[in-house]
Amino acid sequence: MVDESQHELVPDHTVLPEDEVEDVLEEYDVERTSLPKIKRRDPALPDDAEIGDVVKVVRDSRTTDEAIVYRLVIE
Amino acid sequence: MSSGQSPKEIGEISFGLMDPEEYREMSATKVITADTYDDDGFPIDMGLMDPRLGVIDPGLECKTCGNRSGSCNGHFGHIELAAPVIHVGFSKLIRRLLRGTCRSCSRLLLTEEVMEEYSDDLERTRGLRQDVSDVTKAAIREARKKSNCPYCGEAQYDVKHEKPTTYYEVQQVLASDYSERIASAMQPDPDEDDAGISPQALAEETDIDISRINEILSGEFRPREDDRKAIEKAIGAELTTEDMNKLMPSDIRDWFEDIPGDDLEVLGVDSEKSRPEWMILTVLPVPPVTARPSITLDNGQRSEDDLTHKLVDIIRINQRFMENREAGAPQLIIEDLWELLQYHVTTFMDNEISGTPPARHRSGRPLKTLSQRLKGKEGRFRGSLSGKRVNFSARTVISPDPTLSLNEVGVPERVAREMTQTMVVNEQNIERARQYVRNGPEGHPGANYVKRPDGRRVRVTEKVCEELAERIETGWEVQRHLIDGDIVIFNRQPSLHRMSIMAHEVVVMPYKTFRLNTVVCPPYNADFDGDEMNMHALQNEEARAEARVLMRVQEQILSPRFGENIIGAIQDHISGMYLLTHDNPRFNETQALDLLRQTRIDELPPADGVDDDGAEYWTGYTLFSELLPDDLNLEFKSSTGEDVVIEDGQLIEGTIDEDGVGEFGSDIVDTIMKVYGATRARIFINEVAALAMRAIMHFGFSIGIDDESISAEAQERIDDAIDNAYERVEELIDSYEAGDLESLPGRTVDETLEMKIMQTLGKARDSAGDIAGDHFEDTNPAVVMAESGARGSMLNLTQMAGCVGQQAVRGERINRGYEDRTLSHYKPNDLSAEAHGFVESSYTSGLNPKEFFFHAMGGREGLVDTAVRTSKSGYLQRRLINALSELETQYDGTVRDTSDTIVQFEFGEDGTSPIRVASDEEADIDVDSIADRVLESEFESEAELEEFIGEREPPTNLSEHGESWTLEESAPAEGDD
Repeated sequence: MVDESQHELVPDHTVLPEDEVEDVLEEYDVERTSLPKIKRRDPALPDDAEIGDVVKVVRDSRTTDEAIVYRLVIE
Repeated sequence: MSSGQSPKEIGEISFGLMDPEEYREMSATKVITADTYDDDGFPIDMGLMDPRLGVIDPGLECKTCGNRSGSCNGHFGHIELAAPVIHVGFSKLIRRLLRGTCRSCSRLLLTEEVMEEYSDDLERTRGLRQDVSDVTKAAIREARKKSNCPYCGEAQYDVKHEKPTTYYEVQQVLASDYSERIASAMQPDPDEDDAGISPQALAEETDIDISRINEILSGEFRPREDDRKAIEKAIGAELTTEDMNKLMPSDIRDWFEDIPGDDLEVLGVDSEKSRPEWMILTVLPVPPVTARPSITLDNGQRSEDDLTHKLVDIIRINQRFMENREAGAPQLIIEDLWELLQYHVTTFMDNEISGTPPARHRSGRPLKTLSQRLKGKEGRFRGSLSGKRVNFSARTVISPDPTLSLNEVGVPERVAREMTQTMVVNEQNIERARQYVRNGPEGHPGANYVKRPDGRRVRVTEKVCEELAERIETGWEVQRHLIDGDIVIFNRQPSLHRMSIMAHEVVVMPYKTFRLNTVVCPPYNADFDGDEMNMHALQNEEARAEARVLMRVQEQILSPRFGENIIGAIQDHISGMYLLTHDNPRFNETQALDLLRQTRIDELPPADGVDDDGAEYWTGYTLFSELLPDDLNLEFKSSTGEDVVIEDGQLIEGTIDEDGVGEFGSDIVDTIMKVYGATRARIFINEVAALAMRAIMHFGFSIGIDDESISAEAQERIDDAIDNAYERVEELIDSYEAGDLESLPGRTVDETLEMKIMQTLGKARDSAGDIAGDHFEDTNPAVVMAESGARGSMLNLTQMAGCVGQQAVRGERINRGYEDRTLSHYKPNDLSAEAHGFVESSYTSGLNPKEFFFHAMGGREGLVDTAVRTSKSGYLQRRLINALSELETQYDGTVRDTSDTIVQFEFGEDGTSPIRVASDEEADIDVDSIADRVLESEFESEAELEEFIGEREPPTNLSEHGESWTLEESAPAEGDD
């Protein structure tokens, strides 16, 4: 079996601890539901991600080296 | 909208159904007569034009609110419908409710637990701002599966919907010929080895008394449901037929009235705001007369609005219905009238329902009813709200004017006299203001209106202008004509990118066309074959400032699409620059001055040398360098492939062409724009265009048919090359016919042959092109244009001078026309080059009729392709714009939609504008050098810099091993970068 999440084109997805989620929500002054979404079935997600979790996606970027995006896991 | 009213913010809009009681309450009058005006032309009381419904005639007073026409918005009336009718707009929702609720107790056919689940799901979906219809649809689907109500146990029937507004309950009932059906099933069937069943056996199997079976068989007794099922099972035959029981709107209304609010909640319906029974109309609101004004024709006759016509129909049928019912007419007639009433109410709301014939005007034209007023391109939303016709705009044909700056636009005097700008009179400008008014509306620059401080507007006419001018005081406002230097917005459709709408400065000119500098053609995608453009005069100071700072052409030189300049020299400018800088020609003083006369340069630089006659000369390089910033250093490759070197603002070597000064990304323009700013870039482009025009006129540049004809010797070589190719094609065909041709991997032999022939003929054309190309000198105008990138390519040259080449339709040789051949001039199954669209001739020599025909086939495909492409991409663009239009970059750098959902956490991942930052794989952003440059310009001396940044003290608390230890630590970190 191929683990898609390990593919070089799939950016790093990590579940954000709850206290950091609070910081992120405060920084952007948003509700959890206003974050971009990601389906629980998405193969890029780590196994321990559950519905309602916020994952941090770190992408390589040509201009900023790293681009960080947060996504809410939905069913 | 009187002044002094503070603007209000809309906090929330909620949509719901309207209670019939509310219709009655807001109604100004009940409408009972279908007539509009009486014989004297006065509106009839309680008629469709009742004066209480609002006023349309000027001078009359509204009987409801007392306002006059214009300030009275009109008032709704109502019609009491004789029988309830279905609102077409809700036919789908009505169907869903009928299918999902119990026919007896009206409850949703789901158990409490399941309802709970769906409620939770609904709330979750709402919280995520996703579409709730998926959840409600799933709930209905599950409820529909139930054959019995979980609350009252009533058996449920399927509901059939016949569009648009008829509903049936489908019941299975015992067929009238049940006894025959049983008997025939019991008969033995000799063909199929069926022994049949005797009545005794049947009685035993179904557990029904034998005498009852006999009664059933004789048709004296109708079996009850469980008996029927038992018999059906025993004999293996159907005894039922479908019975369609029509649900009348009144039945549906009663049904819906009993649906509990909590059950509706599960279906996403807010029962407080929208009771389902309100979807069945008992009262019809009558729109105010202001929404359906009647017009008086020239002959004094009144012509009514389509909506009024429709309302007349509704009232007539309504009345007939009531009369018939009171007279006790038979049910059949009542039902017919009911259906007719339903039809009229349906078409009153939507006259384009499939399956229903549209209601027509007497002339046969379909009526334009409520839905038609809102829908589509010309409807209220797209036609009247999103897009409106505006004042202070002008449209006319465009034509070129190379003497204008690229920031300017030539505006015809007629347009300038019509478009006005508000000028507030003060002590400084009072004399000018008076002069404008004195000039009147006909003279330019004049004025059309003046506004006194008390708010009265006075029109300036030829008669009163002199007198009016004397009365002008400070504090007045003068609507003056457009004059040179005013800022206006200029646009060409289709407005596909932001450079399609740019701000220009006005230059008032004679004649009737808008004039623009040719270098702004690429961003507008304009040419002068009859194109028209729009101009908008700005009406307040804020708009003018915004346009000047953000929208002026010079601010749009860089395209956000690729971050390089989109405005630059084009066509003849490129040819001109090429002529001026290729081989570095020499000019005497007069010529040099003439070349530079349209630029800022009014003094020649020191001469480059003295020619044999002792006269001073200047080179093309020197003259071009005069336009460059003094400290420009640049090296790049030109489109001819030469290295271009600019040192300290002097062109040292290379030819200036498309890649230097052209549109769509050229090194010099791009660098000047980014390093020296928009103003310098604008000056540079203007001057390059001017110099290039002078240069091309100096050298003279023309092209004719003789420029592309070649010598007999070259023609012979081309003919040889083509004959050679023909021979090779013949060989290929021979080997194909002999069966010797080997197919390429993954292709059939036929395909292989086609490919090889195409290849051979392609090579033939290329070699013809090469021969022709060798023959032409570098000074040949077509060669100059192709080399410099001004227009055309070597392929065009090949086709003109050498050979047009293979014509293709759908990427293949031409293979259509007659059976087994393309034209009747060839033998069937002729595979030769000329029989399949190879054009041997050149455009100069002319095509023979067969070649011409094939060429037309290829040409037609190109035309069709472009036509299809533009319409497809237009629609795609519209959808893309609608999808993205509400996204906005917020002050915190995030991109969000209107419900504040985050789309990007940082605009474009890096928060930068593509026109402010230029980098690619080769040229990465050099942060260090930028930082150095900033520091250098920020601090005057090294000492100041040191003071600001702070001297870094060497660490003192390290052990002997400390230093080597830190060095080791830092080494791999650096390697990472």
